[in-house]
Amino acid sequence: MSALSLILGFLRAILVLVLVAVAGFPIYWMATTAFSDPGQLYASGQVPWPQPQYFGALVAELEGLPVGRWMLNTLFVATGTTVVSLLLGSLAGYALSRFRFHGRGVVGFLLFMTQVVPEALILVPLYAMFVALGLLNNLLGLVLANAAFSLPVATFIVKGAIDAIPYEIEESALIDNCPRIGVLTMIVLPLIAPSLAAAAVIAFFAGWNEYLFASTFLMNRTLWPASVGLASFIGQYETPLSAVMGTALLFSLPAITFFLVIQRRIVSGLTSGAVKG
Amino acid sequence: MAAKTTMRTSALGARAAGYLFIVPPVIYLGVFMFWPLARQMWMSLTNTTLARPNDGVFVGLANYARLLETPAFYASLRITVVYASLAVLLGVTLGVVSALAINRPFRGRAVVRGILLFGWAVPNVAAALIWLWMFNERSGVFNKMLLGMGFSRLRWLTSIDWSLPSILIVTVWQVAPFVMLVTLAALQSVPEEVREAARVDGADPLNVFRNVTWPHILPSVQLAALLVAVWSIRRFDIIYLLTGGGPLGSTSTLVVKIRQTAFEAHELGIASAYGAVGLLLALLVAGIHNLVDRRRMRWVAER
Repeated sequence: MSALSLILGFLRAILVLVLVAVAGFPIYWMATTAFSDPGQLYASGQVPWPQPQYFGALVAELEGLPVGRWMLNTLFVATGTTVVSLLLGSLAGYALSRFRFHGRGVVGFLLFMTQVVPEALILVPLYAMFVALGLLNNLLGLVLANAAFSLPVATFIVKGAIDAIPYEIEESALIDNCPRIGVLTMIVLPLIAPSLAAAAVIAFFAGWNEYLFASTFLMNRTLWPASVGLASFIGQYETPLSAVMGTALLFSLPAITFFLVIQRRIVSGLTSGAVKG
Repeated sequence: MAAKTTMRTSALGARAAGYLFIVPPVIYLGVFMFWPLARQMWMSLTNTTLARPNDGVFVGLANYARLLETPAFYASLRITVVYASLAVLLGVTLGVVSALAINRPFRGRAVVRGILLFGWAVPNVAAALIWLWMFNERSGVFNKMLLGMGFSRLRWLTSIDWSLPSILIVTVWQVAPFVMLVTLAALQSVPEEVREAARVDGADPLNVFRNVTWPHILPSVQLAALLVAVWSIRRFDIIYLLTGGGPLGSTSTLVVKIRQTAFEAHELGIASAYGAVGLLLALLVAGIHNLVDRRRMRWVAER
């Protein structure tokens, strides 16, 4: 082993430590703030590690907030977004992978376009449309708006996965007069289950995290998902900071867990179709 | 391979079936994405206001002409370009460096990899809240550290000089992990034989990286850079929640401007014109990427 590789190895170890500290600190600090005496945070200074003895106080604070309600709303929006995206994304992905129809290129381009459109750009027209359709102040409207953005991602992932399985498997079923939709649901989709799971996680947490639409389309506080509820803490000082960070932690943990579990598939899904369309 | 097998199906039947599958999702996107988008683009040619959203009168390019006379527009365009460019530059550099640092197996690598992904996995609103607290001028941990080291407090989010850098810090924390994941995936596929051969030929690690590894991962890194650029042009939540576009418009990207002009100034026409410029910028970035990509393909083919 040369001297250069030894030095590189040493530098690398230090680099990794620094990276871990920088990347991990905000979440560490979130937990530290959640498990602390809220009275101390502004006054004497924060104890720089989580103090488990404040767990009970944190739970009591959280019980005084509509956190459960927010989480249920979030769960509904996230689940709805997932269902719509996967249903339509499976159809579109299958069509794009297996058929050469007129306008295929156009559809590909439109799907690509959706990845470039800022949500803020269609906010006002969607708002006007939801007023007309009675979807304003309605969680279903939120689901429909969110799914428009996660459906193309689901399509890319499904298309990529179906591209990778041989067509012969479907052919035999078609010869036996199984209808196309049966081929898709009974044969193709089970084969790409892992990719579907990745698409589901992406759609679910797109709905889970979404803030702009939710903060614009929902007036009724009881309909707020956790993203809007959490944001309402900003600039407001009645809620103790430990409870705010506790809520943020509760809201983040599912996302962190699922993203870490499924990280590799998400990357291949996002990069395979995201650009080429 | 898949492309060839598809052709085997009888052309006509397959075509009809194809439409059956593609029409429902296309209608869905038409209703909830492209119809609103078209309306918004149309609105940019009218004098629509929020009070009377359906009574806009066609005014041609007047809104765009007004933008070109507004200093705030140029400021916003400049902020968007600076923000997106620095997000790409810093995010990609840090992401690639992180990937190289943890590419080789070591004890605890899975845990390290997980922690490095935190910024990417945390929801935007939760990220905004913890960063707001850390940036807090009086009691935030950053200023406490600065004081402890003998420096004076920084107004992280409330001074014109620091607001954009602070937003960039948060952005890089969020996007670098994604670049790292993409780069790690690309590094997996660098052929070990080639690297080994280079080493046997006496190339030092830096040489191996420059001549073997880097050319191999470049397309993936470029793709990640494109995604980061487009996301930065689109990014709303983090900026809006951390600074609201302020102070004095110092973090007002085009997308923040859309929402401000629409819901605070109530001028939907102008807001739509801001949006059109933002969309154009994002398309431009994607176009450049495709061009570079195609040129490289040709270059590789000609070799």
